[in-house]
Amino acid sequence: MKKFTAMLLVGVMTAGMLAGCGSSTGSTATSATSGASEATATDSAASDASATQTASASAPDWSGYDSLIKEIKSDTDLVDREAKMHQAEDMLMATGAVLPIYYYNDLYMQKTDVDGIYSTIFGTKFFMYATKKSGDKTLKLCLASEPDHLDPALNSSVDGACLASNSFVGLYVSDKDGKYQPALADGEPKVSDDGLTYTVTLKDGLKWSDGSALTAKDFEYSWKRAANPDTACDYAYLFDGFAKDGDSIDVKASDDGKTLTWKLAAPCPYMMSLLAFPVFMPVPQASVEAASDYQSNPGSWASEAGFVTDGAYTLKTWNHNESMVYVKNPNYYDAANVTMDELDFMLSSDDTAMLAAYNAGDLDYIDSVPNDEIATLKSQPDFHVADNLGTYYVGFNVNSSLFDGKTPEQADDMRLALSYLVDRQSIVDNIGQTNQEVATSFIPTGMSDGHGGIFKTDDDAYKYPVNGGYYDPAVNVDKAVELLKKAGYTFDDNNMLSADTPINITYLTNDGTGHVAIAQQIQQDFAQIGITMDIQQEDWQTFLNDRKSGNFDVAREGWLADYDDPVNMLEMFTSESGNNDCQLGK
Amino acid sequence: MTKYVVKRVLLAVVTLFLICLITFFAMNAIPGGPFNGEKAKSAAVMKVLNERYNLDKPVIVQFGYYMKNLLHGDFGVSLKTGRDIRQTINESFAISARIGAMAMVIAIIVGIVLGSIAALMRNKWPDRVIVFFATLATAMPSFVLASLLLLLFCIKLKWIPVWSSTSHNYILPVLSLSLYPMAYITRLTKTSMLDVLGQDYIRTARAKGVAGWKVIFKHALRNALIPVITYVGPMTASILTGSLVIEKIFTIGGLGSKFVDCITNRDYTMIMGTTIFLATLMVIMNLLSDLVYKLVDPRIKLE
Repeated sequence: MKKFTAMLLVGVMTAGMLAGCGSSTGSTATSATSGASEATATDSAASDASATQTASASAPDWSGYDSLIKEIKSDTDLVDREAKMHQAEDMLMATGAVLPIYYYNDLYMQKTDVDGIYSTIFGTKFFMYATKKSGDKTLKLCLASEPDHLDPALNSSVDGACLASNSFVGLYVSDKDGKYQPALADGEPKVSDDGLTYTVTLKDGLKWSDGSALTAKDFEYSWKRAANPDTACDYAYLFDGFAKDGDSIDVKASDDGKTLTWKLAAPCPYMMSLLAFPVFMPVPQASVEAASDYQSNPGSWASEAGFVTDGAYTLKTWNHNESMVYVKNPNYYDAANVTMDELDFMLSSDDTAMLAAYNAGDLDYIDSVPNDEIATLKSQPDFHVADNLGTYYVGFNVNSSLFDGKTPEQADDMRLALSYLVDRQSIVDNIGQTNQEVATSFIPTGMSDGHGGIFKTDDDAYKYPVNGGYYDPAVNVDKAVELLKKAGYTFDDNNMLSADTPINITYLTNDGTGHVAIAQQIQQDFAQIGITMDIQQEDWQTFLNDRKSGNFDVAREGWLADYDDPVNMLEMFTSESGNNDCQLGK
Repeated sequence: MTKYVVKRVLLAVVTLFLICLITFFAMNAIPGGPFNGEKAKSAAVMKVLNERYNLDKPVIVQFGYYMKNLLHGDFGVSLKTGRDIRQTINESFAISARIGAMAMVIAIIVGIVLGSIAALMRNKWPDRVIVFFATLATAMPSFVLASLLLLLFCIKLKWIPVWSSTSHNYILPVLSLSLYPMAYITRLTKTSMLDVLGQDYIRTARAKGVAGWKVIFKHALRNALIPVITYVGPMTASILTGSLVIEKIFTIGGLGSKFVDCITNRDYTMIMGTTIFLATLMVIMNLLSDLVYKLVDPRIKLE
């Protein structure tokens, strides 16, 4: 028996070592990838997958796209810049690699006696000016489970941005109409004629929640800290457009701490949108650096309740994964107008538990409900929907073996044909269920054009191919068949794909009721002309890995804009972007 | 006895090392990583993070670093949140253990009493009622019971809030957690008790005129408890470390959900921390139940 046990242990140990060796190889490959990307200095591929595919002969020619995006980012003529952004979207949509389904919106439930909560198109909610008919000064809410970081520079989630925006504030803030208003800034920024130098004067008497003075020097420190790669902020790239001052970005506070001046490398039409974004909010240097491990663990200072803030609230208690209690910050610049004394957050990712607490009267506001409850709840007066700036879409891997043997034009036609088969309205009606707008372009409705207008509006300078979009969203089987015939497929008299030229697609998605239901709808849509589609469901991390490394034919995708400018969504598809899951130019 | 304990402790150390080794290599073999997300991090950020946590080194080297830190009592910080692993485990275990201990005490006391009653009143109505409910409770998943309790007491009767930032009410989670082990212990006690009651020495004790209660409590129950102890040891370790389902339903920041979340997030340091913690607890509980055998039944020889 003892011998057997010893042998078993040795066996297990060997298996463990072998598994490790396999993984070690993968890890080494990662290092190689990182090294290569470092050499190019722009590669944002964050993949640890070693199986990245090589470019296929059927992939579209993507050589002009990267330079076009580069031109857009440095263009000083904003009208010309818009024209180039349309050109970039035209290029993208012509490949058919992106199949837009709908533009995101955001549902929430808010008790009818609550008023004054507003949200932005980025999904950020502001609770400080809420009122309750009962006169109660405590608002009880549930947005999601606890975010990874409460440091506004390190946060990367939408719910985390809500917490950051209620406890921190930057130079400007979005009001309920989506307009940017001065917060800590005293008036509008002064911009140089070339659009490259910004100067902002701060309001007088600004204070942190601990009573210490808040000055422009705090902004200088915070922005340099956020832009520094060592801090490892996800949104550090938002500082990429800043001019450089040595190793750092060019931002300087005046000696008296009253004004902040920064320089850009190229004019930035969406600067105000950035200035209201959490990563541009100040953090208190003394508190940040009081944590003993602040250099190796930059978010450490805000990992427990009681940290210093400059926003409407400070975090009084934090029972991890249970609750957070925020109380009013008397030193907030607009404290006189803050109507809610306390925000109590339930920390849960379980939308059934959220809805139960809401129905029991324990919560005033919830940000999510179970998908199968939407149909019942949507007729209630406390059910609300707000617009978001983003697109739910399906992405094709242009290097997939699905397109083997096709010319780039035929591969484009294949993808475009499949787009004509998808019943987007049915997806919105039966799965999304919150009256999402059916997408006819990749850039969502409502996004700014960079010079005072809306990008997705037909104007004198640009007309979309079909009724303000790239296609008519109605299902068009004949058009799909016609395009597939051009791509070399044969059909019988009933418009069914011939057995001689079959199409077998694998659709990659992560687990999630809505995502899988959309995949099933698309599966049915494709089946109407005899296309076979298998749905491959994977756990979140495996899914991300496979999608990033191009290990799929078709995958579910989605993008919520970080700031209000089309380039945020277009630059995803540059050949070196880590978000270019479609593998364009790779 | 001392020699036995020393031997078991040494074996436990080897076991824990093997668990560390297997877990470390297995978690590195599964696809994905702690810094992947819907939106990709830039190459510069990934480089900093990989270097900071030694993820740019071969796995065997990473394991070496990890074990070195572990021997210094350093479990590291969560790769996801930056929070100290030891502190996170301590805090969440305190919550899970409080609920779990209450559930276990209820399960053991009620389970043994009901099991004994069922055995002593075999085939009479109390036995049938107890067996019926025990079977039902064994078959019913905890999330069904938890949801039913929530619906009844929180939403319909409104006796208890579903969630509150100020008062934690642990009655419903404790009840939901205790029901399954209670039913299992009831069934185990009954079977074991019936077996013991048929033994010769019970008949001898009765023939010698030993009082009925003494026969049951001193001779029968004590021996009948051995299978229960075998079950209670690992079960306690499992219940004390929390339940994902119960924690999600009642919004409890316990340890149970951490076991699952850390794997979903590929939070390597958290995976190691929770695994080592659970394994240590399991090893200790198994050792304790072996030692308790000896106390309950002196005939058992520990070797």
